[in-house]
Amino acid sequence: MFRGFYTVASGMLAQQRRTEMLTNNMSNANTPGFKEDQSSLRAFPEMLLQRMDQQGVTIPTQKGLNLPFNKRIGSLSTGVYMQEAIPAFKQGDLKETGLGTDMALLDVSMPENGSVFFTVAGPNGETNYTRNGNFTVDGQGFLTTASGLRVLNDAGNPIQLISDQFTVNENGVLTGEGGVTARLGIGFAADANRLIKLGDGLYQTEDGNALANAYNAPDAQFKLQQGYIERSNVDVSRTMTDMMTAYRAFEANQKVLQAYDKSMEKAANEVGRI
Amino acid sequence: MNRTMITATNTLSQLQKQMDIVSHNMANIDTAGYKRREASFTDLLFQQFNNQHDVRAEGNRLTPNGIRQGVGAKLAQSKIVMAQGSIKSTDRALDTAFTKEGQYFRVLEQSENGTAIRYTRDGAFYLSPLSDTETMLVTGNGYPVLDENNNPITINGRVNEYEITTNGRLIAKMENGGTSEFNLGVVQLKKPQFLEQKGGNLLGLPENMAELNVPVNEILTELNGPMRNEISIQQRALEQSNVDMSKEMTDLINLQRAYQFQSRSVSIADQMMGLVTGIR
Repeated sequence: MFRGFYTVASGMLAQQRRTEMLTNNMSNANTPGFKEDQSSLRAFPEMLLQRMDQQGVTIPTQKGLNLPFNKRIGSLSTGVYMQEAIPAFKQGDLKETGLGTDMALLDVSMPENGSVFFTVAGPNGETNYTRNGNFTVDGQGFLTTASGLRVLNDAGNPIQLISDQFTVNENGVLTGEGGVTARLGIGFAADANRLIKLGDGLYQTEDGNALANAYNAPDAQFKLQQGYIERSNVDVSRTMTDMMTAYRAFEANQKVLQAYDKSMEKAANEVGRI
Repeated sequence: MNRTMITATNTLSQLQKQMDIVSHNMANIDTAGYKRREASFTDLLFQQFNNQHDVRAEGNRLTPNGIRQGVGAKLAQSKIVMAQGSIKSTDRALDTAFTKEGQYFRVLEQSENGTAIRYTRDGAFYLSPLSDTETMLVTGNGYPVLDENNNPITINGRVNEYEITTNGRLIAKMENGGTSEFNLGVVQLKKPQFLEQKGGNLLGLPENMAELNVPVNEILTELNGPMRNEISIQQRALEQSNVDMSKEMTDLINLQRAYQFQSRSVSIADQMMGLVTGIR
């Protein structure tokens, strides 16, 4: 059996995964606060090949015992898979919307891999994080995300307002009608790559614990901008190019698979012919 | 099955919905007092695939084990934008325009399901004759405009001139020298996103108000009594819609491109499946 059969098949699967991921990036080219995923492909763990040699060590016994000798040929990689989809936490463009309930986080200076997030009470009561500041005010006056999840203040409590007329300054202090004041809760992830994407713009820490308070993080500087949203950081032209590359790689793998199939055909129908 | 197809078709249908909203805004560019809606997106559910059950076999990773893949984008919300529209002078006595955001006239909508109080910013009023001497103040659709106590405004006798003050007081100067005065019913919306668009340029409270368990006075305030000083009305003018044609057009172009990109994804997925079937 040809080993390469499964190697090219894994290549096709990996490229298909990549296309799926790129399509999802493209779908979210207009989603506020979306961070594009970047794929990394990894070769399967290598196998060690050895050869059993005919001419081994002959032990001088009465009948001349011949022990086969193992010879190392080298390592062989048998395929590839998509190992990671890593969100790229680089700042998206800010877009003015003129709506008071829209907010954007603007990174002024961030440590490498670090990022700041709005704090949101998740659907099951846990604390989630989001970059999507497309908020609204619900019937009871709570500041919520577009899906109705409550936005939390720096003490971890929901923010209740009297009306949708309020101001938020650069430092995240919200001042609403009727003397309502709150400071928006902003979480700081020192290594944002360790966060898990949940969909609906939400992120969660791996162990479910809360992130550190970003206001106290000395090396993270950021600003809040009211009336703006952070646009998705998907680069559509690059995504399209990547998609075409992935497609062609898929096609190349398919051609190799066909070549293997031809060899099999020969083996089956021609080599054995009498 | 190739997930690309599912992701792309999910997004295509949602983009279509946003296009509907944009075209609705554009269609209402000349509707007096119309407030545009703005739609925004959010990403859909992420699913995790574990290539390796044991993370130790994975080597150097930056992210937690597994790969998380999304399945497209959906429309998250469409917000009504309350920004003031520009004021157009019409020089017609019964044309009024609000010059403060969030203030609405109260009108009585009559339909087969009964009557309900609705809110409008379209201040082009008309008079509808009730009898030889009586007339009623109505909107362009014929719905009665309500006064401060939610009663229709009927004027008895022939009128020479109408005056509407800044604070929403309608003064009809009669032919016989007298005047009759009415206070136009006005509300101030506190949570405009809570209201529904009811068609006919009217906003109204949701049908399931009782289930939602939200008191009406938290959504809006009826500007009666001393609060009438907050009302700001300009007579002989109409408020134009706050739709910006060039913005809507730009959005539409963007949307169309996004739509094209998704269609490309579908055709790429289709070609990939063609390659698979064409292996042999």
